[in-house]
Amino acid sequence: MSALQEQFVTEARELIRQANDDLIALERDGISRERVDRTFRAFHTLKGSAGVVGLPAMSIVMHAAEDLLAAVRRGELGASVDTIDQALACLDLVARWVDEFEHGGSLAAQADEDGRTMVERLRSFLPRQTESHARRPQSAGTEAQLPEWASALIAAERDTLASRLASHPSAAIAISYEPIAGCFFNGDDPLQSMRQLPDLLAFRIEPREAFSSLADLDPYACNLRLQAISAGGLDEVRRIFRLVPDQVRIAAIPAQALSAGVSAISDGKGTLIVKVIEAQVELLRIPNRKDDLAGCVGAAARSATNALRYGDYSRLTERVEQAKALALSQHDAAPLLVALEQALLAINGAQTLEAAEGVDRANLSPDEAIQRPAQRLLRVSEAKIEALVNLAGELVIAKNALAHSAKRVEEELAERGIIDSIRRDHQAIDRLVLELHGMILQLRLVPTGQVLQSFPRLVRDISRQLGKKVELVTRGEGTEADKTIVDRLFEPLVHLVRNAVDHGIESPGERLAGGKPETATVSIEASRIGDRFLIRVADDGRGIDPGVIRRKASEKRVMPPEELATLSDEQVVELIFAPGFSTTSEVSDISGRGIGMDVVRSTIEQIGGRVSLQSRTGIGTSVQIDLPATIAMSRIMVVETGGQLFGISMDAVSETVRVTPDRISQIKNNNGFLFRDRVVPIVALAELMNLPPRPEDSAVAKLLVVMEAAGKIAALEIDAIHDRLDVVLKPMQGLLAGARGYAGTTLLGTGQVLLVLDIKELLP
Amino acid sequence: MTVRRSDDGTLLLEGVCPIEDAEVLLQLLQTGPAVALDWTKCRQMHTAVLQVILASGMIPQGLCGDALVRQWLAPKLPLRADG
Repeated sequence: MSALQEQFVTEARELIRQANDDLIALERDGISRERVDRTFRAFHTLKGSAGVVGLPAMSIVMHAAEDLLAAVRRGELGASVDTIDQALACLDLVARWVDEFEHGGSLAAQADEDGRTMVERLRSFLPRQTESHARRPQSAGTEAQLPEWASALIAAERDTLASRLASHPSAAIAISYEPIAGCFFNGDDPLQSMRQLPDLLAFRIEPREAFSSLADLDPYACNLRLQAISAGGLDEVRRIFRLVPDQVRIAAIPAQALSAGVSAISDGKGTLIVKVIEAQVELLRIPNRKDDLAGCVGAAARSATNALRYGDYSRLTERVEQAKALALSQHDAAPLLVALEQALLAINGAQTLEAAEGVDRANLSPDEAIQRPAQRLLRVSEAKIEALVNLAGELVIAKNALAHSAKRVEEELAERGIIDSIRRDHQAIDRLVLELHGMILQLRLVPTGQVLQSFPRLVRDISRQLGKKVELVTRGEGTEADKTIVDRLFEPLVHLVRNAVDHGIESPGERLAGGKPETATVSIEASRIGDRFLIRVADDGRGIDPGVIRRKASEKRVMPPEELATLSDEQVVELIFAPGFSTTSEVSDISGRGIGMDVVRSTIEQIGGRVSLQSRTGIGTSVQIDLPATIAMSRIMVVETGGQLFGISMDAVSETVRVTPDRISQIKNNNGFLFRDRVVPIVALAELMNLPPRPEDSAVAKLLVVMEAAGKIAALEIDAIHDRLDVVLKPMQGLLAGARGYAGTTLLGTGQVLLVLDIKELLP
Repeated sequence: MTVRRSDDGTLLLEGVCPIEDAEVLLQLLQTGPAVALDWTKCRQMHTAVLQVILASGMIPQGLCGDALVRQWLAPKLPLRADG
């Protein structure tokens, strides 16, 4: 796939997602011009890029969808559920095509047929063509019917128009073009569009909002309004702006409106002024007048300003006077010459910039006024970041190897100075490597918003299917976490949200009867607390009935009845995470897709997280997921048993002790000892790993590592303790991928592979 | 280069100035003393370049080589005060 095609796939997906969001927002909040425009632009860009990569079926479908949105924009079609459904279905089809294109570089043979069907469906929603034509601006009759901005433009450009109209026929077209901030990135050059306008009568350009200081200026965010009056044909003007219909306003100005607006200055007057100034320019151009420069400049300026005053060109008069002062102080006629030439152009061209300032600002709709500046991001392929993360990991290992060498030097060399300097250098490298590794992990942080994007659509579709009214609230989309974690979060979240809408939320009737608002709320909230990343999915539905769970649990024999009876209501509710447990009697189409809450829990635990649940009958349910925000360095302890080395996460180690055999007693079938008033069972690591046990020696104290994990405590019996290391754990891969009991592997400084134990799995 | 700083510190726009020149010009304006801007040799400029000029408040020297800018926009700029 070429770079262009890859870019198409990435951008198309982004646009589809954005259009999805906007369509749902339109349905929910009603039509806002900004939203409709943005949706239109997304469809429009999709159409254009489909053309670039050669997908005609997609272009045609997007074109039909554009027509639909244009009708919505013109107010001929409401953003009804059906309309939105059609637009969403169209996006689904296109999303499927983009996937196909990514895999095969082309579309399946079926695509043309699918496309045609979709086009017909979309067309069937369009209002009659005749209606849409009736609203076009050709019908605008007199100035009174002109849009306000067009009248303001004519007023501002009156002088220019007056001098031009003599040689031009009556009617004209007013254009107001407000390119979106990101237009340059779409390859638009607004000036270039203006250059193409036939028979310009007036042209002005101004900032939409005051420019920020140069230090803060974003050169690639367009902040301009370009307005023009053209004597060309309406069709020609439309053709020029056909790609940016949402950013341009076009109005036909009838002849009488134009002449009424510009009657202030007669043609004769304008021509006279031009002639006078032209004469001054010629005069000033005569060389070798150094001796009498002051007189010459003074005379020319005087004649010119008189002429300009006669024509009420006060601004130009002022400028010529300034130029005269400048020319006199510099003993050079050039500034005046430039000012006069510009004055000539101005009389033939346009009026002062400030004339209409403040007029158009009032016409800005609030939506336009809050145009967000384009966000500038750097796109880096995931593979590159991954390579960087791996390299940083290797560097950590190399650093550990250095520690190993340093230790050997220390043992074998008595030279104090060298040992100290190596130790110092090692400490510096140690610190830098850890910092570097931390920064690189930061690169992998992505906002949670990425994973939450598809949920509005999901909730909409499910709730429609079930006939429920649900509003989705998302908060903390900007919260960042490691990409792996955010990506892995998607499936569990989908399941939790489906469950909430399907099982948690009551039908509208039930809710009203229960005194609740008809529309239920499901919220997904992301936040960061220290290095933990928390996600909460909550609903205000019926909650989970502990009685029902208790009954189901005993029916399904999830645990012995006597044990079940001892559980509190809170503990019973948590049973829905137990393997094979499902609270609905029939597997519904929505949430029963073969994964249950137990899969949610295990998926989250695989990425180092925890799931907990609170529920109150009749009030609602809330599930909290607690995850590490980054895949951090793990600090491990290297231990030896049966001649082999293993790693143990330091998180789990609470203490290391030597215990003489007389303190160890037999409890049931296990050895145990009393440690800080608690009986701690002893597990021999050699036995767990099927390694030859050390011969029993009652005289030697046993070396024990006391560990706590998942609420359990145990002491691991080992032969020796080696180093403590900071390592990057690599997940078990290849043949070992399915092996239980291991958290991962890492390389030791000696080059040896170290297996790191998953203590939680090993503890009895 | 279609945009550069000449030996005497004047910023020169020459030929067809593409969108990329907007950033270069902005950097030149941000980093050095803005002595003068000469656009007489600029045959055509991208909107983004014009926007930087407008935002800078600088009044370029002489008649702009870009016909559209020369005819319609330059006359609306205030006069250069520094010669």
